[in-house]
Amino acid sequence: MSEALARPLKVLGTRTYLWTAATVLLLVLPFYLDRFWLQAGLFAMAAALGAIGINLLTGATGQLSMGHAFFLAVGAYGYCVFAADGPGGLTGLGLPTWLAAVLAVLVAGIAGGLFSPISGRLSGAYLGIATLALVFIGQHVMFNAHDLTGGANGRDVPPLNLFGLTFDDRELLVAAVPFGSAEKLWYAGLLALVAGALFARGVLRGRPGRAMNAIRDHRIAAGVIGVPVARYRAAVFVLSSMYAGLAGVLLALVFQRTVPDYFGITLSLEYLAMIVIGGLGSVSGAVAGAVFVSLLPQLLTRYSDALPLVSAPGTGGIAPGEASRYLYGAAVVLVVLFLPGGLARVTARRRTRTLTEER
Amino acid sequence: MTTTTYATRTAAGALAALLLLAGCSSKAKDDDSGKQAAGGIKTGEGISGKTITLGALTDMTGVYATLGKSVTQAQQLYVKQLNAAGGVCGYQVALTVRDHGYDPQKAVSGYTELEPKVLGFAQFIGSPFVAAVKQRVDGGDKGLVLPQAWSASLLGSPYIRVIGSTYDIETINAVDFLIQEKGIKKGDKIGHVYFEGDYGESALAGSKHMAKEAGLTVVEQKIKPTDNDMTAQVAALKQAGVKAIVLSAGPRQAASLVGVAAAGGFDVPVIGNNSAFAPQLLATQAGPALMKNYYVASPSLPIGADTPEAKKLVADYRAAYPKDALDNGIVAGWTAASAFGEALKKACKNKDLTREGVDRALLTINDFDLGFGPVQDFTDPKSASSRESVILQPDKSVTGGMRVVREAAASDAAKTYSP
Amino acid sequence: MSTFAEILLNGVSLGSVYALIALGFVVIFRATEVVNFAHASLLLAGGYVTASLHDDLGFWPALLVGIAGAALVGAAVEFLVMRRYRGSDHSVLAIVTIGVDILLTTDLTRRIGTDVLTLGDPWGDAVLTLGPISLAHTRIAAFVAAALLITAFLLVFRYTSWGVAMRAAAESAETAALMGVRLGRVSLGAWAVAGGLAAVAALFLTVFPTPGLERATSLAALKAFPAAILGGLDSTTGALVGGLLVGVTESLATGYQSDLTFLGRGLGDLAPYLVMIAILLVRPAGLFGTKELARV
Repeated sequence: MSEALARPLKVLGTRTYLWTAATVLLLVLPFYLDRFWLQAGLFAMAAALGAIGINLLTGATGQLSMGHAFFLAVGAYGYCVFAADGPGGLTGLGLPTWLAAVLAVLVAGIAGGLFSPISGRLSGAYLGIATLALVFIGQHVMFNAHDLTGGANGRDVPPLNLFGLTFDDRELLVAAVPFGSAEKLWYAGLLALVAGALFARGVLRGRPGRAMNAIRDHRIAAGVIGVPVARYRAAVFVLSSMYAGLAGVLLALVFQRTVPDYFGITLSLEYLAMIVIGGLGSVSGAVAGAVFVSLLPQLLTRYSDALPLVSAPGTGGIAPGEASRYLYGAAVVLVVLFLPGGLARVTARRRTRTLTEER
Repeated sequence: MTTTTYATRTAAGALAALLLLAGCSSKAKDDDSGKQAAGGIKTGEGISGKTITLGALTDMTGVYATLGKSVTQAQQLYVKQLNAAGGVCGYQVALTVRDHGYDPQKAVSGYTELEPKVLGFAQFIGSPFVAAVKQRVDGGDKGLVLPQAWSASLLGSPYIRVIGSTYDIETINAVDFLIQEKGIKKGDKIGHVYFEGDYGESALAGSKHMAKEAGLTVVEQKIKPTDNDMTAQVAALKQAGVKAIVLSAGPRQAASLVGVAAAGGFDVPVIGNNSAFAPQLLATQAGPALMKNYYVASPSLPIGADTPEAKKLVADYRAAYPKDALDNGIVAGWTAASAFGEALKKACKNKDLTREGVDRALLTINDFDLGFGPVQDFTDPKSASSRESVILQPDKSVTGGMRVVREAAASDAAKTYSP
Repeated sequence: MSTFAEILLNGVSLGSVYALIALGFVVIFRATEVVNFAHASLLLAGGYVTASLHDDLGFWPALLVGIAGAALVGAAVEFLVMRRYRGSDHSVLAIVTIGVDILLTTDLTRRIGTDVLTLGDPWGDAVLTLGPISLAHTRIAAFVAAALLITAFLLVFRYTSWGVAMRAAAESAETAALMGVRLGRVSLGAWAVAGGLAAVAALFLTVFPTPGLERATSLAALKAFPAAILGGLDSTTGALVGGLLVGVTESLATGYQSDLTFLGRGLGDLAPYLVMIAILLVRPAGLFGTKELARV
């Protein structure tokens, strides 16, 4: 740290420039990238929001959750139910879409709160597998509660409407570039992600964050020094569920249709992989991991023709889908063994050049 | 603080500059609709230079890997042969394949990636994913999509065209077979074991309709694709006293169900939908039982059918993929690719190879016959292209493991059925 | 009544397969306090080795090689991965096993491809008929194997030095190490044993009434999670009871599906999880699990 403190202005300067450049880049991307990449970016943003949520819970507070997919589903379907005006006999309340999005996030939080009799009692592996039950229950409901969810083929997602701007595929010309849903949603997603990330950073860096880490590192000791453990654990579970709910709403808007197959165990496991790869307990880690895990398969599939060892489906060899699974399985293992702290720590190390063990 | 304001100003300035630059982005709109190529043929998306590109969204690493592999390889074979014979209108056809591994995110991404580059999709596995992009297909993309899912809920769009009888019609024909040939009569109970989801529920609608028509009772057993052991289901159906069982599930469930029923002396006929069989099963313990009591309703003749077209396909496929199993996925893939090829040829004749042109061309084909049984009529998007089913029986000695026990036919109930 | 008896018996026989899988979780958890999410892939590995060798070697030798092979894979995972982790967070280790599982499963499913492999077992599709009830020989064998193995493990944990070392390690790793217990060896042994158990479980999971080993076989391991948890993750008896409970629940929910339609059909897979939640509400450490002791 001393080196960084010695030249504070310089460091701040370069960092500010970097941030400015990144911001500008993110803001103009919709003018250049085609829909595929924008959609991939949006998936990554939604994943990042979800990963921030689960990192608060699993990374910072040490509560293993395998039920994140369930809360994503609550958000996604909740938005549809609140916003739709009942097409095809499906339940829909026809509320303004912004309100529907807010309510969907709240409902996801409530769902997390309702689970607190379980989440308050259990920890570690028991909690992990108990939350796995949520995924099964969720999928059962999604497939069977036809009026609410549309069954196996899902239901259409009403496009978001903010201040008279509808986030749908009707083209809107901005500087001669046609803006479809992906381009418009890009900004909404970016805004949600920045807000979500800043809030989570505030939580983690403030008093609550220290309390959460204390609970993770030693629950009983945390209780002894005056942290209201039960209340904190319940609150973090609710907060994490709300992040998942927000991710679910964004995903639904990108997909334009919610299907139950998506919200399975694989998705829950992917989120755990994201935070481990990115770095447990930090916001930047969650974002980095989410970008890595959600963009990797897209990149490999897209460039499968050009990559060595990876081959297009139907020609023998390793299919891109398999290659990405190999890579991210290996990434989980390697990061934990050789890169404690994850991807986020790598950049942090380069910046400060000193590594203080947090734990 | 000064740094921050400075940064903000820089950012604002850079942003303004970039926004201006964005005008020069390659994405900026220019008018290029309706290119006229040589020979007066109208072309649009999916055609560049002398190549027509088609997409295939398949599953080669997920739950439908067996189907996806056969369908894709058959389609690649078709494209190769089509090009060897000169292509369409002087254009070569290319098939771009994306494997989504039955993951909704990858499926939708695959569609988004390929959509701007292809004329249409000769293959799209997974009816929930087809449903997920339906809005976009119908709304503006308008490319022809041929899903490898025979769900009735996919009917109705002029662009998304299911080939062959849908699961509900197929199940009606299957129950009709039980009535005509297996002595099921009014007042009897039949069991129906079906997958949670579109496939199973579509089939259930068919069996319920037929039960109402014929005075039968359906005893339902819903299962999940991860259930591999059908012991409990068989016990329940046996107790209910069913005289026959309809199975709308996967090959594994068929093997387990038929095997358990036979081993327990529960000797009733079992009939499955076309997805509920794979020739690989005949080598397992359930093989003999399958050959005795199991039937499959299919929208086409099996790969091992005794027609010159089938024999040629078997020979060509074997030559191209000597190591791979011969199953009915090959027929499905071949049929879909051929239907697309036929539509392209017709569109070529009409001198309109745009997406709309191909869609319209398919709508005029009413006697599509590949030598695999039922003749397909694509003129009505609201109804299945055929209402006929072929009833097959597993048989180890035949290529592809299936032989025909009842030729293509539509039962009376299937003819008048509307979902 | 005979329906109920048949459904119950089916449940018990199915449950003994789950108990075998659950026992694999228990062994590793006892030794290292880690939930092994890679168990599914060990299962696939054992089954795959047995399936690919039974033609040349005959069934029993192939099974032995399969058990040894899976044990080797288990030991390799411990030696190459688990041992290298220097942190102390068991949740992180659990997530690492997820990574291992993804790697192994991807590789094995690639090898299996679209095939359905038989294991060449001697029981075939023979069934034992007791009046109106029929029971597959394979399932009786599964029950016997589960009972034998679980008894054996009860004895091993109680009387052998390895078992005592494992108990000591589970009680307090530090103290055990100070007392001369080689933690590495204990954990290596646990992983190898769990691998071997997975191979046995794979056998009973892929013989009649299921068609054979194929890419989706490993998904069945998911059903053993509630079994291991509701019995108590560190209890051998718990694995047996949990397995049977899950098997019977699943069987009953399927058999009486028509009477439970208000909950939606296809409840079979869900019911074990509901039972698990209900039990955890009352006993957070499972039926037979030891309550977590707090040391400050």
